[in-house]
Amino acid sequence: MNLQPLAIEATPASGTAAAPRIVVRDLDFFYGDSRALKGINLDIGDREVTALVGPSGCGKSTLLRTFNRIYSLYPGQRATGSVRLDGREILGPDIDVNELRARVGMVFQKPTPFPMSIYDNVAFGLRLDRRLCAADIEERTEQALRKAALWDEVKDKLKAPGLSLSGGQQQRLCIARAIALRPQVILFDEPTSALDPISTARIEELIGELRRDYTIVIVTHNMQQAARISQRTAFMYLGEVVEAGPTSRIFMNPTDRRTQDYVTGRFG
Amino acid sequence: MPNHIVTDFDADLGGLRHAIAEMGGIAEKMLADSTTALVRDDATLAQSVIESDSRLDALQRDVEERGILIIARRQPLAVDLRAIVSAMRIAGDLERAGDLAKNTAKRVLAMTGHTHPRRVVAGVRHMSELAARQLKDVLDAYVADDVEAAKVVWSRDGEIDALNNSLFRELLTYMMEDARSISFCAHLLFCAKNLERIGDHATNIAETVHYLVTGEALDGERPKDDRSSFAIIEAPAGVERA
Repeated sequence: MNLQPLAIEATPASGTAAAPRIVVRDLDFFYGDSRALKGINLDIGDREVTALVGPSGCGKSTLLRTFNRIYSLYPGQRATGSVRLDGREILGPDIDVNELRARVGMVFQKPTPFPMSIYDNVAFGLRLDRRLCAADIEERTEQALRKAALWDEVKDKLKAPGLSLSGGQQQRLCIARAIALRPQVILFDEPTSALDPISTARIEELIGELRRDYTIVIVTHNMQQAARISQRTAFMYLGEVVEAGPTSRIFMNPTDRRTQDYVTGRFG
Repeated sequence: MPNHIVTDFDADLGGLRHAIAEMGGIAEKMLADSTTALVRDDATLAQSVIESDSRLDALQRDVEERGILIIARRQPLAVDLRAIVSAMRIAGDLERAGDLAKNTAKRVLAMTGHTHPRRVVAGVRHMSELAARQLKDVLDAYVADDVEAAKVVWSRDGEIDALNNSLFRELLTYMMEDARSISFCAHLLFCAKNLERIGDHATNIAETVHYLVTGEALDGERPKDDRSSFAIIEAPAGVERA
């Protein structure tokens, strides 16, 4: 195991065991005049789970939102610096954000099923792709529901409204909807904070499965969850990455005092 | 270190440290008393050492139960998790050290009435003083989170081992010279071995303190000087071989 701390100041930021899929350099983020991210340098490894942890307002969700440029839906929000996905700059004006968001899926804190059937929720994005025929859509919808570990529970009621499912099932439906588009990266923004422990365990199990095929970044307030499901962890505070490295080190023997105080519940 | 937001968590961890401090006190006293009982041939004192072991055992169980409960209740991480694991390990070492002192006390009862070869008994007493110093210093290092002090204890274990070697040789010589001393000397051999083992437990605790404070194992070859396992003493001329 690589126990060397990730050199967050230096460029290039090295230290991920896996080849980096997302490379963040000198990233600043602004909500109007307010600077929410300050010079972020971070590598997100391929086919591993990277957890972003830190107190509320530290910028972890903001950082997550730069990876699929969802922030650009809002006026006054802008990012400077560099975020490269597979070597390609995604902050530039020439990027097709619809294509980017198909490659970088996102699952939110509260399940957000569309007000339509279970089947249509997953097929929705696929139907926007004119290259796919009905049979392809059907196949990929079933595949996505299977991968999201939901198929067995919903296969007999695919026409039922998505909103009729339990909270945990709705969250897995949203994961299926993201998977259906065959993304490379899946972003999770506190995906289990609204779920009961059993549904949480199912989502955690699912994330562990998805890691084989996808690069996963998860924002969580639950330290034990980050410790359980991630391979790498970045601790953020006041808009900066204070410390990033192998999860086992961050939670057993962090280098920075602020990380130690936060993960042990001494401030936050 | 700043306090936890949940103040009961600090109280939980404080409770563990308190129990370890009490265990340390009992183990130190058992060690000193067992040696005094040996030197003075004092059966009453030996008996009291034997009796105080049950308190040490109870405290060890208490530390383990508290540790498990804190892990279950608070899911500790980083230095907190290390503190709990360390307390449980140290409790184990202190409980074993107490058992070894108790074993010496039992042997004192078995040896009552035998003539004690003064020089050998003095050697055992010296070993006991070294072991007591190791135990005291390592417990102080634990209380103060002092890695350097723990390292000093760790590197000093060789002294006890060396003393054990020379006592071992001396006792073998006694036994060969006078067959009537065999029973007594065999007991003394075990007493010396008990002290050497107590020294090892102090060294274990030093390693635990290092892990607790730094999060890393104490690297490097531990200074081991116990060669009694390899010692052979040839019988002097004129002594018949069995």
